[in-house]
Amino acid sequence: MAEEYVDAGTAIRYQDLSADKGVAPPVTKGVTYDRLLNARDEPQNWLTYYGAYNGQRYSPLNQINASNVGDLKPEWVYQVGSMGLHSGASTYAWEASPIVVDGTMFVSAWDGMCFALDAATGEELWRYKHASPFDVSLCCGNVNRGVAVAEGLVFMTTLNAHVIALDATNGEKVWDQPYGDVRAGESATVAPLVVKDMVIVGSSGGEFGVRGHTDAFKRETGERVWRCYMIPKPGEPGFETWPQDGEAWQRGGANCWITPSYDPDLNLLYYGTGNPCPDFDGGVREGDNLYTDSGVAVDADSGEIKAHFQYTPHDLWDYDSVMEHLLFDLDGQKLAAHFDKNGFMYILDRTDMSPVRVAPFVDRIDWGEVDEMGNVTPKVYPDAEGDPVHFWPGPAGAKEWTHACYSPDTELLYVPVQDVGATATRRRREFKESIPYWGAGVAVDGDDQSGYVSAYDPRTGQERWRWTNDLCMCSSLLATGGNLVFGGTPTGEFHAWNAETGDDVWKFQCGSGHHSSPSSYSVDGKQFVVAPSGWGGWAEGFLPKMLGSSHGSALFAFSLPE
Amino acid sequence: MAVAGLDKQNSVTLGRILGRTNVGEAEESGGKMTATVRIPEDQLVYDPGVLVLPHGGILELTLINDDKNTHCAVLPSNGDTQFIWLVNHSKGTATLELDGPGYYWYGSTTGNDEGRGLTGAIVVGGNVPDEAKLDRPPQPQVEV
Repeated sequence: MAEEYVDAGTAIRYQDLSADKGVAPPVTKGVTYDRLLNARDEPQNWLTYYGAYNGQRYSPLNQINASNVGDLKPEWVYQVGSMGLHSGASTYAWEASPIVVDGTMFVSAWDGMCFALDAATGEELWRYKHASPFDVSLCCGNVNRGVAVAEGLVFMTTLNAHVIALDATNGEKVWDQPYGDVRAGESATVAPLVVKDMVIVGSSGGEFGVRGHTDAFKRETGERVWRCYMIPKPGEPGFETWPQDGEAWQRGGANCWITPSYDPDLNLLYYGTGNPCPDFDGGVREGDNLYTDSGVAVDADSGEIKAHFQYTPHDLWDYDSVMEHLLFDLDGQKLAAHFDKNGFMYILDRTDMSPVRVAPFVDRIDWGEVDEMGNVTPKVYPDAEGDPVHFWPGPAGAKEWTHACYSPDTELLYVPVQDVGATATRRRREFKESIPYWGAGVAVDGDDQSGYVSAYDPRTGQERWRWTNDLCMCSSLLATGGNLVFGGTPTGEFHAWNAETGDDVWKFQCGSGHHSSPSSYSVDGKQFVVAPSGWGGWAEGFLPKMLGSSHGSALFAFSLPE
Repeated sequence: MAVAGLDKQNSVTLGRILGRTNVGEAEESGGKMTATVRIPEDQLVYDPGVLVLPHGGILELTLINDDKNTHCAVLPSNGDTQFIWLVNHSKGTATLELDGPGYYWYGSTTGNDEGRGLTGAIVVGGNVPDEAKLDRPPQPQVEV
C-alpha cells in the first residue's frame, strides 16, 4: 500500500511571508469629491495624480526650502525588486506618482503591484498583486503610473487593461472591470482619475494599431458610464481627416495613456492623445488624422469631445501629445500649458483650446516649422521607402510623457527637456492585429544628445533659466512652496533647483535612473519629498545610451534632520 | 523535435530546457475549473508543465510532489502571488484567480529549481468581454 501523502495544506499569500501588516488606517474613507476639488487646501496630502486637478504638480509645503534644502537626507527607502518570469522582464521601471493621504502612501509599481506604506516610516501596510500575463503586448515596458483614491477605495489599472478598485484598508479587491482588448494589442498603464462619482482611465497600445479611447466607470461599482474614442468613425466629426474609403481609422492610434487634468468650472477633462498609427508611414492615412497628437477637452459627464487643438497634424515623427496640460489662470485668462514632443510649448485658452502663444523649448528642431499660432509646415520626414531620414527631435520627443510643473508663486513653468534626434527609414508593412505597426525602422541618436531643466514664462514664452545635463532629462518635475523644483536624472541623482534662479542647490544619488513623478507631503508637521527610482521602460526610444543601466526599484523619502 | 537530452536533467546542459514538458488541460464542471500538477521523481519539472485553462476565472489546483526532494510553487493569482511549500511526498492545493487571455509562469523558488526546470506555465484562453473590445470591424490576423 502506497504511503499517504504528507498534507501540504493550502497555498497562502506571499505577503504573509513578509513583515507586511495587512492593514492600513481608513484614511481614504473621507476623501470625497469635495476634498479632491480642494486638494491643495490639504498641503500635507497628495490626493491625485498631479497633486490637484489642475495638473500643476505643485505642493504648497515650504518647510524644505531654498535656504535649508542642503540638509535634506533620506528618511526611509522602500525596495521592491523583481521575482520570477514576468511580463516585460527587461523593461520594468518605476514610473508612478505616489499618493499620500493623512500619513498613508498608496503607490503602484510594475507588473500589477500596488502598496500601502506608512508615509512616515516606509513600513509596508498591505500589498496587492494583479497577475499580469507574460505575453501581454507592451509598447513601452512593464510600467504603471499610479493610483487614485476616494471614498475608501484605491483605483489602479493593470497591464492587461483592467481597472480595479481595492479596499484601501487591506488591499482586497472590491471590483474589477476589463476595458481593453489584449488580443488587439491594448494594455493599460495610466493612473486613474476620480471625478465626481466616476473613475476615469485610458488605453495604451498606440504602436499596435488600435483605436484609442478613454473610459469612465462608476466609482462604487465599476459600472460603465461612457467611452470616448479619440479616432472618429464614419459619420462622426473629424472623420473627414481620415481616408474616406479606407480602413485607416480603425487602427489610427490616439491613445490616452496619461491622466487628464480637469477644470471643474468648465467640467472639462484635458487629455493629450497619442501618435497616429502606423507611426511613420503617413501614406496609408492621408489627412490630418484627428484626434491624434492633440489636446482634447472632453465633457466629464457625457464623454463628448467639446474642443481640441492638434499639435502635429498628420504626424510622421511619432510625436505623441499625451503629456499633461497644466491649467492655470493668468491676467484673467483661463489657460492650459502643454510641452509637446514636437519641441514646442503651447499656451492655449482652455475654454475653447485656441492657441494664445507657441514657442520652441528645445534647441534643435528641424522636422518642421510651427508659427506663433501653431500652424505647421513639415520640413523633414520619412517619405520614400527605404530612405533614411534624420530629424530633431526624435520620436522620444523634446519632452517625454514625464511631467512639467507650474509654480503659482513664481508664475513659471518648469520642463524636463530631451535634446536628441533620430533616424527613421520608412518600411511599409501590412497591418495585422496585435503586431507592432510602426511603418519604419528607427534608430535614436546615441552620443549626440543632452538634456536640461528649463523655466519658462507663460506670459512671453521666453526661457527664464536653464540647468543643463549631459543626458536627456526624463523624470517629472515637482514645484514646491519652498521655492524649489525637484527632479531626477537618468544616472540616478535626485536634484533640487532654486525655482527662481535655477541654481542646483542639492542632490542625492539614488542608485538608479529617474523616470517617474516625485511628490511631496507632510506627516505630523514634517515635510517629505518622495521619489521613485527605477530605470527602464522604453529606454531604447528616449535614451539608448543608457539602455544598459541598472533597473533599480526603490522609493526614496527625503526629509530634513530633526 | 527530439534534440537529445534537452528534456532531461544533466544531459546536454545542466538542467532541463523550460517548456519541454507535457501539456495538460484543466477540467471544467459546474462552473469550476480544476487541475492536478505533479512533480515526478528526479525530473525537476511540473507535470503537466503547460496547463491550459479554457478561460479566465478561478482554478482549484492540486499539487503533488512525488519527488524525494523538497520543492515549492509560487503561483500567479489576482490579489497576491500564492505560495505552497511541498516537502517530499506531499500534496496540497491552491486557489488561483487568473484573467484571460494570456499565459503566466510560475516556479519553485527553492535553490535553483526554476533554472533546472521547475518553471511551469498556466495558459488561459478565451477573450475579453464584448464591452471591453474596440468598436471596429474584424481586423486581419497573423496567419498560423
